[in-house]
Amino acid sequence: MIISNYIFIGLLLLVAMTFGLAPIALAHVVAPRKRSRVKEVAYECGVLTHGETWVRFRIQYYIYALLFVVFDIEVVFLFPWAASYADLGIFALVEMTIFLAILLVGLIYAWAKGVLRWV
Amino acid sequence: MLRNLFLVISTLGLACALATVLSRNLVRAGLWLVAFFFCVACLFVLLEAEFLAALQVLVYIGAVSILLMFGIMLTRGVQGTDPTSNPSARLAPGLVAGGVLFLLLSYGISRERGLRTQRSWATTGERPAIEPGTEGPSTPRRDAINNMGKALGVELMSRYVIAFELAGLLLTAALVGAIAVAHREEAFEPSSKGAPASSPAAESASVA
Amino acid sequence: MNVFEGAACAFLWAQSQAVELDFWTKARWALWLLVGFFGIFPGIVAYMVWLERKVAARFQDRIGPNRVGPFGLLQPIADAIKLITKEDLVPGGADGAVHLAAPVLVITSAFLVMAVIPFAVGLAPVNLPSGLVYLIAASSLSPLGIFLAGWSSRNKYSLIGAMRAVAQLVSYEVPQVLATIPVVLWAGSFSLVSIFDRQVNQGWFVASPPGLLGFVILFIASIAEVNRAPFDLPEAESELIAGYHTEYSGMRFGLFFLAEYLSVFAVSCLATAIFLGGGMPIPFLAFPVNLLGESAWSYVIVDAMLLAVFLVKVLAIVFVVLWVRATLPRMRVDRLMNFSWKYLVPLALVNVLVAAVWYELVIRPGAFDAGRWMMGTAVTGPIVAAACWGVFAINRAHGARAPVSEQWPSVGRIGPGVGGRGVSRRGL
Repeated sequence: MIISNYIFIGLLLLVAMTFGLAPIALAHVVAPRKRSRVKEVAYECGVLTHGETWVRFRIQYYIYALLFVVFDIEVVFLFPWAASYADLGIFALVEMTIFLAILLVGLIYAWAKGVLRWV
Repeated sequence: MLRNLFLVISTLGLACALATVLSRNLVRAGLWLVAFFFCVACLFVLLEAEFLAALQVLVYIGAVSILLMFGIMLTRGVQGTDPTSNPSARLAPGLVAGGVLFLLLSYGISRERGLRTQRSWATTGERPAIEPGTEGPSTPRRDAINNMGKALGVELMSRYVIAFELAGLLLTAALVGAIAVAHREEAFEPSSKGAPASSPAAESASVA
Repeated sequence: MNVFEGAACAFLWAQSQAVELDFWTKARWALWLLVGFFGIFPGIVAYMVWLERKVAARFQDRIGPNRVGPFGLLQPIADAIKLITKEDLVPGGADGAVHLAAPVLVITSAFLVMAVIPFAVGLAPVNLPSGLVYLIAASSLSPLGIFLAGWSSRNKYSLIGAMRAVAQLVSYEVPQVLATIPVVLWAGSFSLVSIFDRQVNQGWFVASPPGLLGFVILFIASIAEVNRAPFDLPEAESELIAGYHTEYSGMRFGLFFLAEYLSVFAVSCLATAIFLGGGMPIPFLAFPVNLLGESAWSYVIVDAMLLAVFLVKVLAIVFVVLWVRATLPRMRVDRLMNFSWKYLVPLALVNVLVAAVWYELVIRPGAFDAGRWMMGTAVTGPIVAAACWGVFAINRAHGARAPVSEQWPSVGRIGPGVGGRGVSRRGL
């Protein structure tokens, strides 16, 4: 039964989180703790932090994330296609070629526009 | 019984959604949204749609949340202390819009009639029985559950082939549109041009 | 994180109401969880760290750890004790809860990935019908954890390191996932157990031109996904201190460290399971699997053989990863991103279609035979080679015409007004 497998996955999730949290909890008990203001300063190469840290970033990052989302969704379409290819045949191959060609146009557009250039 | 289980997880999901809305810090709000997506994935598993659950995690937690975080890093409201965003001013219209949407949805869902051969699922208390396992003759529904990706692929390539190609077109259009918009914005920032990438100061062009 | 835990608990309770489990399933799961995931996998990872230090030392003509125990074998234990007894520092401006949740999320992702790997016949923790999609979904959680680590530290270098790391991870996730699609296509299933079974009958999936290209893309992208050299820009210590985990000390840093090595192990297992035929020792023979009989002993012997070969293959891949680290210098950030989007993604897309052609030529006609394999190779081999050559040629031509920036030297012939300012290739 499929759903019972996911009980294992859920248990594994708990085990993994325990595995992550337990050593931290252990360190909390075992490790020395001497707080001081100097220790709380962010380490930025030994210089005191200057200005605001959480600043705006450039659009470049966003474009890469967007490209990633588009290609991720493409993968979502590719997966069922690949799994069912045995039942489908040449027609599916043609369909997928068209689909990929359409998406490749997007990639080529991004390339030609220069947004794939990390400046 | 199953209905109760469904309710527990959906309550958790609703709590996460509420926390998303109420959180003052944008990144934390995004994190609550991720928790909500996770609850939705759990619901998919409960409905024996594990392929969809995996896709939910892959697309929403893996990709959309990253897009969201990068989007937040583009805005000024990273710290949640932006004085221009005053939630109480938007409270009333937000409540009205939410209430209307809720009424609309509940009206639509409660009046759902169902197909000719089936009962309306709006009036069904229990989840319809799904034949699990691999014994016995194969039925379309069982095949769809046991190997959902495959069933989905066959449908996508036969009945929904036009929609499939249109989805590709839509994805490309979204990409091209976003690049066109973002690229124009880039032109307004002359300081970022020609700066070497390895300098962290240039990368986080400080616009505080 | 508590939400995840709460959801998971509710979910488990929900399912335990709906599903009856027999005793053997419970016992098997308890064994996997407590012995496998709590004991063996962390142990393997700890000794991978030791191996890395030894191998790196040998590459650099040193001896490596040799003080703690024979051959330094107790070094990982000493490291663990050291990490636990270090002070747990959280910077003053940090977002405490998120700062704690980030490493836990990363290690959770690394653990979840291991749940579907088939180590031998019947020796997979679970066999999900959509195992490969699940695996990719689980591994896609770690960029989020890395971003949260960098963001919550409230340190400029952490944040920039995290942004770069996430940009790199998402860029390389695309070719990594695309490279697995030929395997799904040939096996007709997402279940890693079915993929292994297919390779018993048809030979290793790597033994075909599209399979080879897919394996190479998967390998390169996986190295980038686990932040290893030459793609370890997120931790480029010369420019970003330690990247996203600058503000992590003690055991919290240890979790990132552990997650990195666990991911290396996981991607090696994945590559072995889906391309290198799992535990099969010889490419086109169903050798140990066809000896399986009714008796329990045949299972034990065959599984021991499969498991040993599997681990040897994984170890070989891990060694290559270490070797690459010892050999190649770190990439430049713009080339890193280019390499994913302009080389690997187009190649992987073409490879998907070539894999379908291979299916039509070799797999669809029926049982495997050598003549058909040669015919398929003769048809798809040149296509794959031409695709590789084409991608490189286009990039060379394009790169020479449009340099990254006026000040930067670029690949290609240096002409007047093109490429670097007075920097010749010979001078670099």
